[in-house]
Amino acid sequence: MSFFAIARLLIVAAVAGGSAWSANGPANAAMMQDNIERYRVEAKALGQGFEAFSAERGRILFSSSPAAGKPDTPSCTACHTTDPAGVGQTRAGKEIAPMALSRTPDRYIDVKKIEKWFRRNCNSVLGRECTPLEKGDFLTFMASQ
Amino acid sequence: MDARLPLNSPQMDMEQPAQTARVWDLPLRLFHWVMAAVVVVAGVTGFLAPEWWLGLHVIAGYALATLLSFRLVWGFVGTRYSRFGSFPLALGGLYQHLRSIVRTNPKTVIGHNPAGAWMIIILLVALVTLVVSGLIALGGQENHGPLAAATGFLAGEMAGEIHQIAAWGLAAAVAVHLLGVFAETRIFRHPVVAAMMIGRKAPPGSAVNVPRSAHTVRGAAWFMAIAGALLVSGITLAGLPSSGWRALDTPAVYVSECGDCHAVYHPSLRTGEAWRSMMNGLENHYGEDASLDEQTVSIIQAYLVDNHAGTFDTEAAQRIGRVETPSLRMTDVAYWKSRHQGIAESVFRLNSVGSKVNCTACHTDAASGRFDDVKIHLPEKDKP
Repeated sequence: MSFFAIARLLIVAAVAGGSAWSANGPANAAMMQDNIERYRVEAKALGQGFEAFSAERGRILFSSSPAAGKPDTPSCTACHTTDPAGVGQTRAGKEIAPMALSRTPDRYIDVKKIEKWFRRNCNSVLGRECTPLEKGDFLTFMASQ
Repeated sequence: MDARLPLNSPQMDMEQPAQTARVWDLPLRLFHWVMAAVVVVAGVTGFLAPEWWLGLHVIAGYALATLLSFRLVWGFVGTRYSRFGSFPLALGGLYQHLRSIVRTNPKTVIGHNPAGAWMIIILLVALVTLVVSGLIALGGQENHGPLAAATGFLAGEMAGEIHQIAAWGLAAAVAVHLLGVFAETRIFRHPVVAAMMIGRKAPPGSAVNVPRSAHTVRGAAWFMAIAGALLVSGITLAGLPSSGWRALDTPAVYVSECGDCHAVYHPSLRTGEAWRSMMNGLENHYGEDASLDEQTVSIIQAYLVDNHAGTFDTEAAQRIGRVETPSLRMTDVAYWKSRHQGIAESVFRLNSVGSKVNCTACHTDAASGRFDDVKIHLPEKDKP
């Protein structure tokens, strides 16, 4: 086998391997879109004139300080930092991976996990459950980050 | 040292061969100086160094155990003046000797003088007490070493107290010993330090050399045999399962669900009752909603309650885990507070620590429930 044949083989192998590796990114984003779609169905079912999710409303929800829930958790940003791409910290000292999809691509795959954290954190920060509209807006914002 | 008495000079030996005699055999002299060095290491790491230097302290302890075992055997099989049988321990003799010191004219004694002999007995007793109590404390408090399988925490803690008292006792005895040596060499001009180095003394009356090479070989053989026996039995015993600690099979959901927010606490850090109330109040878990589905709660609760503090005999389980607090927090336990009072608030606020409940930030083995002293690693200051 000539040198060029070997080199071509290596390049082909590298390209194939690289595309297989990066394929996870789009797959994760697609799974996240499936979850946003689920909230869209729920939001429409409520029949409150739902049109579309808004990343801007999601940003406002993330950045606001409602202080309506438990006193130690006045806002999302208290733990997650004001930057969706920033590394947060729990009150007990553990690191929290960035919320932005681009920084933590596998964050929004599992329905159970997404629902668990909305249940807990909406209750901690807002003192109530989040609506399907809020959840969809929030995910749409994070998908854009 | 007195310059007028160059006892080790070969020229002197030739000129006045009958003036000095070989008194201390080489094994005894080596024992003395190596032990002195090891005691310094043990003393510095024990009295001055922080807890995580325990590893070196324990190595010094093992070395002392070997050296002392050799010395005790050599006291029966060694050369004449090394044998305990030759020690002038009669109280009458001691009284006479002390009186001669007060009158500032003590005689040169060929072996040990009565005060020196008693000093050696006191030093040996203190050292043996230190080694034995140290091994018990190591086994009971740290669940390490040859006695880990045989010793409970409370026995270890008591041994730790004895260890401290004996350490101060030894420090005092060493001080008296050094004072005695100072008096002998500087005031009474008896070059006892030189004698302990080269083995020769200028005796009153007839000089009897102790044999040289044969005893050195015999001493080395005894030492190797004792060290080998201790090593083999020590490693064998240390391989037995510890009485107070066992490894646990931690359910993956415990690590993922609880460990998302905080350190994965070992079940031995709280009572079964405390774990039950904690798992029943997850909706308001220290100011946050940490609720979980029923099935996950039941798996985690079973693991925690089955392995509660009462089922472990470690320092952490005995002193912190078994102590109930209204908040259920372990950081409210008096023992926790007293053990952490030397740590500045700013350390707990470091990015790498975050809070007082982040045990793993410093106790690198916290997840195992062991909290070994040697596994403490204080974090460095935050990088700018």
